[in-house]
Amino acid sequence: MIKPEKQLTIPTPTAKGPQFKMPVKLKDRRRVTIYLTLLVLAYLTMVTLPTMLPDHLNLKTASLTFLQNIQIMFFHPGLSNTTFVQLIQALLESILLAFLTTLIGSVIAFVLALVSFRQLVPAWVGLAIQSFMALIRAIPNVLWVLIYSVVFGLGANAAVIGLTFHSVAYLTKVYTDSMEELEPDAIETMRAMGLKNGPIIRQALVPNFIPSYLSWTFIRFEINFADAVAVGAAAGAGGIGYQLFMASSFYFNFHEVGVIVYLILVFAILLEIASYHLRKRVMGNQ
Amino acid sequence: MLEVKHLMKSYDGHKRSLTDVSFTVATGEVAAIIGPSGAGKTTILRSINQLIKDDEGQVLLNELDMRQLNRSQLRQARQNIGMIFQNYNLIEPLTAIENVLHGCLGNKSTLAGIFSLYRQSEKEEALQLLQKVGLGNFAYQQCRHLSGGQKQRVGIARALMQHPKLILCDEPIASLDPKSSTLVMETLRQLAIEEHISVLINLHQVDISRQYADHIIGINGGQVVFDDHAEALTDTAAAQIYRKDLVLNEEAAV
Ligand SMILES: Nc1ncnc2c1ncn2[C@@H]1O[C@H](COP(=O)(O)OP(=O)(O)OP(=O)(O)O)[C@@H](O)[C@H]1O
Ligand SMILES: [Mg+2]
Repeated sequence: MIKPEKQLTIPTPTAKGPQFKMPVKLKDRRRVTIYLTLLVLAYLTMVTLPTMLPDHLNLKTASLTFLQNIQIMFFHPGLSNTTFVQLIQALLESILLAFLTTLIGSVIAFVLALVSFRQLVPAWVGLAIQSFMALIRAIPNVLWVLIYSVVFGLGANAAVIGLTFHSVAYLTKVYTDSMEELEPDAIETMRAMGLKNGPIIRQALVPNFIPSYLSWTFIRFEINFADAVAVGAAAGAGGIGYQLFMASSFYFNFHEVGVIVYLILVFAILLEIASYHLRKRVMGNQ
Repeated sequence: MLEVKHLMKSYDGHKRSLTDVSFTVATGEVAAIIGPSGAGKTTILRSINQLIKDDEGQVLLNELDMRQLNRSQLRQARQNIGMIFQNYNLIEPLTAIENVLHGCLGNKSTLAGIFSLYRQSEKEEALQLLQKVGLGNFAYQQCRHLSGGQKQRVGIARALMQHPKLILCDEPIASLDPKSSTLVMETLRQLAIEEHISVLINLHQVDISRQYADHIIGINGGQVVFDDHAEALTDTAAAQIYRKDLVLNEEAAV
């Protein structure tokens, strides 16, 4: 459902005389803010970019080396320090990390979304939960993992908890939003029949909510996979990210980096195909 | 059976949407509420099952005042009131029979409601009700694939599954073609006669009200302006109900 930002008041032409022009778009402070922000950012970029270039940098040789490395990565992938099986294992580790954090996150987030859903609980409860979640979201995912590594030490534990934490905050928000976009009639009808909240949620809310639930959870899985790779490198959580880190920053082996990048790419494509089919099936049921 | 006494309601605290509405509906009677748009018909209906709170007056269903009940008593009382909506309000992704079965969840345990545990007898009853409204072959169809008229009949079957004493209908045929409208109205009429259910219907069509209702209540500007047998509703009386100046008076008072 689209809600207009403001109440539309259509001015009458007669009010301002013959040269009155009726606008097609209303003046919107938000758009002005966006343009201003972009303008400032563009200016800052232009001013700072030249000063960032170190004096000894030779743009020509730098670009050439860059292209060479790219060429090694993508046209001469090969393994020397690790075996293919090891890499596949590492990839599986990252996938499992993403899967686990998404699963735990989606369960907790669903409960929190219900508890902050305005048709079921007083508005202030929802507001409190949503504000807290916004606070969590404001700190990036990888940072949460690092924060938890301080508590639990570097490794998989910190990664699982850190990624779950952020997933919960993200999913609670999108779940609640999707629930609130659903037709309120279904729930009111059940209430008029004298049902309690439990059956109302299960019978009226869940069936209508499943498509958005699947779609958002899948998107979060994709995000968590990308983060699991990053976290593997940054927080020593293992997985394909750690291998990538070793190959690129420890062995300087761009052939191996190439293999790893291809692996991740293949998995990303598979994920995309899977999500496409999943969505088609769910939509097909509608 | 249903007695509404001195019902008043104001949404914003200043403007009265209902001013002192009183009427009764007898057991097994079909009563129609007619009146211009904004007269307060929906407000009356929703006050009866207390979907609208903060009203004043009395709504007595078999001597029980709906307005004086606590939460669990209200849930109990609502199980006796079926409701049928202009937009059907079915759970569209579910099948017709699942929607009908929702009607019996009111007097089942929370657990049964959450895990959709229905007795064999309940499932059979749901199927019989669907057959009764002519949808036996559509029991396992997802409701989103049904036509408007079919959806409304699923809605009726769902209300019947509650074993209601009273059925409230808010413009049940406003979105339907004439043929489906006739079917829906005839089904409602038949229920009142056979099952002794009282039916209270908000309608926009005077002729359909005359044809199917025993009793007609005319509302204008939040007031009862007509309350009599259907035969007493002459064309002049109908025109009087839809008189503009009452509506205008109400707006002028804002
Ligand atoms: N949720 C609401 N909040 C504020 N005012 C409302 C609300 N619902 C209805 N009203 C007002 O109460 C009055 C009666 O509305 P109601 O919906 O009962 O009319 P109605 O007779 O059902 O009209 P219609 O035939 O168009 O459905 C109207 O003036 C309307 O503006
Ligand atoms: Mg209405």
